[in-house]
Amino acid sequence: MTVTEVLTAPVRDDGGSTARRRRTKLASYAILLAFAAFYIGPLLMLVSASFKTLPEFFRDPTGLPENLEANNYTEAWDLANFPGYMLNSLIYTVVATTLFVIMSVFVAFPIARGYVKGSRALLTLYVVALFLPPALIPQFQLILNFGDIPVLGDLFFSFWPEGSQQQGLFNTKTGYILLFLTNPIGLIILVNYIKSIPRELDESAVVDGCGYARFVFTILMPLIRPALATVIVIHAIGIWNELILATIYLTSDDNYPITRGLIVFEGVYGSDWPKLAAAVLMLMMPMLVLYLFLQRYIISGLTAGAIKG
Amino acid sequence: MAQEHRNLFSGGRRRFTPWLLLAPGLGIYLLISVGPSLATAIYSFTDATGIRGLPISWVGLDNYDEFLLQGARSRDNIDALQRTLLFMAVVTVVQFGIGLVMALLVNQNLRGRMFFRTLFFVPVILGAVVQGLMWKLFLRPGGGPMDTLIGWFGLESQFLTGPSAFYWVIVVQIWANAGFTMVIFLAGLQSIPSELNEAAAVDGASGWQLFRNVTWPQLTPAVNTNFLLNIIGSLQAWILFLVLVGYRNGTQVLGYVVFAEGFGQTGNNTFRQGFAAAASIVLFLLVLVLGMTANFVVARRERKYLG
Repeated sequence: MTVTEVLTAPVRDDGGSTARRRRTKLASYAILLAFAAFYIGPLLMLVSASFKTLPEFFRDPTGLPENLEANNYTEAWDLANFPGYMLNSLIYTVVATTLFVIMSVFVAFPIARGYVKGSRALLTLYVVALFLPPALIPQFQLILNFGDIPVLGDLFFSFWPEGSQQQGLFNTKTGYILLFLTNPIGLIILVNYIKSIPRELDESAVVDGCGYARFVFTILMPLIRPALATVIVIHAIGIWNELILATIYLTSDDNYPITRGLIVFEGVYGSDWPKLAAAVLMLMMPMLVLYLFLQRYIISGLTAGAIKG
Repeated sequence: MAQEHRNLFSGGRRRFTPWLLLAPGLGIYLLISVGPSLATAIYSFTDATGIRGLPISWVGLDNYDEFLLQGARSRDNIDALQRTLLFMAVVTVVQFGIGLVMALLVNQNLRGRMFFRTLFFVPVILGAVVQGLMWKLFLRPGGGPMDTLIGWFGLESQFLTGPSAFYWVIVVQIWANAGFTMVIFLAGLQSIPSELNEAAAVDGASGWQLFRNVTWPQLTPAVNTNFLLNIIGSLQAWILFLVLVGYRNGTQVLGYVVFAEGFGQTGNNTFRQGFAAAASIVLFLLVLVLGMTANFVVARRERKYLG
């Protein structure tokens, strides 16, 4: 059973007497609804608060709003440079995910096929990453002092004259994107999937005179679409939701993604819950919609490290 | 198993193409992930700061000494360490239990089971900011929903602003991740051969007997996975503390101490990166030791049930 089937699998009937079954069913619904209350409740509260005026909220935080006006949404949108944050989040997510996926396919393919020497050792290098200490501190030093790295630093900033070699990649969009160009689990998913694509395909492509890069782009990538979808989705979700790295590396408002922007917004308008609630809902909407449409990819990707399909 | 093959595409001059195209991905991975991971150990023996250009000098074991043994500050760190273990214990056990109950319930032939499955997994994809802010509102003292709810039982709490803040973060942590545990259990439940359940039903096994003698042993792989993931995950979790309560004495866990010391969040705005690196090595070793112990227990259990 693969994870993708978990959510949609039919259910077996385990037999038992009718009376007992009905009792079990009732009890099951009771417990499920009790759980569900804690999952729907916070969301409902958010929606309800987002439609209240501030005095109305203070008078009765929990009750339903008196009328449904979207004022809080438009005001929060204008107040908090939301379009800017949203755009940044979009840029980070799209650019980093695209670059990551393309680079990873070119790493995963030769490893899966054994087309490079030491491919087994290379794969191990990605697997052990899950058991290494956190990279947090040296990574910060690296980004901060990027301009001082011999050769690489000079080379990098000669290609990027707008950047300041003085501040390295600290508080730059480029540096922030760079941090999201790795994802060992994503790579392992790709390697495993590519292994299931028959090697005969490579052979016939070579016979037809198809080059290496062209093969990867035009033949391999369409064939591994399910794995690509899974990797894209989990990588993108990770970037969209990231807060820690955004807090560490980004210090100017122009560079904040929406998560960081929302925390800043909370700092300023923390007691104005109606606006804050509207803002939170605007942040979560894209993820929620994505989840409803791409559920199977999301769940299989997020649990890929845990279950061996 | 990756077997080495002659590269079919490598006719003469294009022999280096695979390496050339592999280089960016691998290079960035080594530069951004592996290198810094390994360097954490080295930084932990230095007095590195977050200020560019300040000379870094070797301080030997001073950071570890200060973190674990020296004076009043190390008391706080030891407290944080204990709190991390408490956090792990409670989250692991409760999340495991709730996840299992959820999975058993939604694995039945009930109308709306798809809805419940989907619903319980939603928080996992929302991320800490949304999870945290949502619950900040839900746990609002003075007439908030939870306040109203416990009020019916004659209870009251200051929630995230009071002395019980630590426990409320545990609640949110479990809420946020129980769906994940559920999905793994669900996969395990669905891989149990249906003949086993049917045979037990024919023998007239009660629900509890069925669970004890068929489901639970058969569920061993999922049980072990969840057990390990919960332990490792909860030891490293700290971001909800950041969103829900901020850095406040009496609530910090180790992961948060690392971040706060390294990035000037302790109140005095100094970036003690060497010290933070040492703290993160302490946390890493804790995860390693407990993870390996758990793995040992789990492997024994697997032998017992699955032979």
